[in-house]
Amino acid sequence: MTLTHLNARGEAHMVDVADKQETRREARARGSVRMQASTLALLADGDLPKGDVLATARIAGIQAAKRTHELIPLCHALALSKVSLEFTLDIEESCVHVEAFCRLNGRTGVEMEALTAVSVACLTLYDMCKAVDRGMIIDGVRLEQKSGGRSGEWSRQAVAQTSLATTGEKGAISPTGTLKVQFLAELRERFEIAECTLAWEQLPTADIAGVKLALIERDAKFKALLSQRVLCARNEAMSQDGTVIAPGDEIAFFPPVTGG
Amino acid sequence: MKIAISVQKATFDTEAEQCRLTTGRLDIGAVVSFTGRVRDTNERPGVTALTLEHFPGMTEKSLHEIALEAGERWTLQAVTIIHRVGRLQPGDAIVLVMTASPHRRAAFDACDFIMDYLKTRAPFWKKEHTDNGSYWVSERQSDHEAANRWELS
Repeated sequence: MTLTHLNARGEAHMVDVADKQETRREARARGSVRMQASTLALLADGDLPKGDVLATARIAGIQAAKRTHELIPLCHALALSKVSLEFTLDIEESCVHVEAFCRLNGRTGVEMEALTAVSVACLTLYDMCKAVDRGMIIDGVRLEQKSGGRSGEWSRQAVAQTSLATTGEKGAISPTGTLKVQFLAELRERFEIAECTLAWEQLPTADIAGVKLALIERDAKFKALLSQRVLCARNEAMSQDGTVIAPGDEIAFFPPVTGG
Repeated sequence: MKIAISVQKATFDTEAEQCRLTTGRLDIGAVVSFTGRVRDTNERPGVTALTLEHFPGMTEKSLHEIALEAGERWTLQAVTIIHRVGRLQPGDAIVLVMTASPHRRAAFDACDFIMDYLKTRAPFWKKEHTDNGSYWVSERQSDHEAANRWELS
C-alpha cells in the first residue's frame, strides 16, 4: 500500500490521471450535527432566525462538492454529474444526519467531493443554528461507500461484516460500531420517530431480538415491537428474531404490508 | 426472462407497457395483465384519497425476487411489475402486473401468483383518507390465504 499523493522522493504531487480509463465513479459520505433538542425542534418547525436551514445547507453542500479542488491541494477539478444531499432529523439522538452522494464518469474518485459536501453542509447547519445553540457538535464525518476505479467497490458495512466474520464467532459482539434502525409507516407514527442509531455495545445479543431488547431498554414504547404482527428487515431482506446482525447493518421495523 | 420493475409516482400506460414487453418478440403467445385500482370504498366508505408508502431499496428488490420466483415456476418470457406510490385518488390505477409466455395458462397463473405474493411480501403500506380522518389499512387474512395457495407441498 502506497500513498499516491507522494512521489518517490516523498514530495507531494498531483497524480497524473491522463492515461486512466474513464469509469463510473460514485461515493456516499455521512456525518451528523448533534444539538439540543430545542434547537432540533426549531429547525424542524423552520423557526430559526436565519430561515430555511436545510435548503441552505443542501445548496452549500452541492456548491462545496463542485469546489473541492480549490480546498484540497492535490485534488483534481471534476465535472460532477450528480451531487445530492439528504438530511434526516433524528429526534431520539437529537441530531441531524447528513448524507451526500456524488457521481461522475471520469478518471478519479469522488470520495473527497462527497466528504467535502457533508463537511460543508454540517458547517452550514452549524452556522444557521449557532445563534440559539453554540454547543453543537459535528460528528462522525465518514465515507460510507465508493465504487469505480482501480480499487473498485468499498463499503464500510462490508468491511464491518468481514471483520466480524474473521473473529469466527457467529453472533459475537464486537466492541464498536453502530446500527441504524428505521421505523416505517404506522410504526413510525406510533413511535413518533423515523430512525435512530444503536451503539453495538448496547445489544444484549447480536441478533434482531437483541435489537428489540436494546430499544425497549431505551424506551418502553418499543415493547410494541414484540408483537407477532411486526415485521423486520435486515439490510433490506426479511428477517426473524434469530437473524444474526453485524455492526453497520440497517434494521427496519414495519407493520404487515398492504400494497397491491 | 425479461424483467421490468418500477416503483413510481407517475401513472402508467398499460398499452405502452405491453408494446415494450412484446416489441420484436414473435415467440410470445400470451400476454396477461392485471391492473389494480383505488376504490372509493374499502375498510370505510367515502375514501377521498390514498397515500402509498414504501421502503425504497427493499421494495424493488422484493418485486424482482417475486418475478424471479414466478419465472422458476412457470415458463415465462417477460414480467413487468409497476407499482405506484404517493397520493392517489379513487379511480387511479395503482399497480400493473404483466406476464408473457408461449401459452396462456402460464401467463394467467404467474400473474395471479405475482399479485398474491406482492400483496403479502412487498413493503408497501396504504393509508386511506376520508372526510372523517385517515387510517392505515390493515392486512387481510384473505390475502394471506390467497398467497398460501401457492406454497409448494
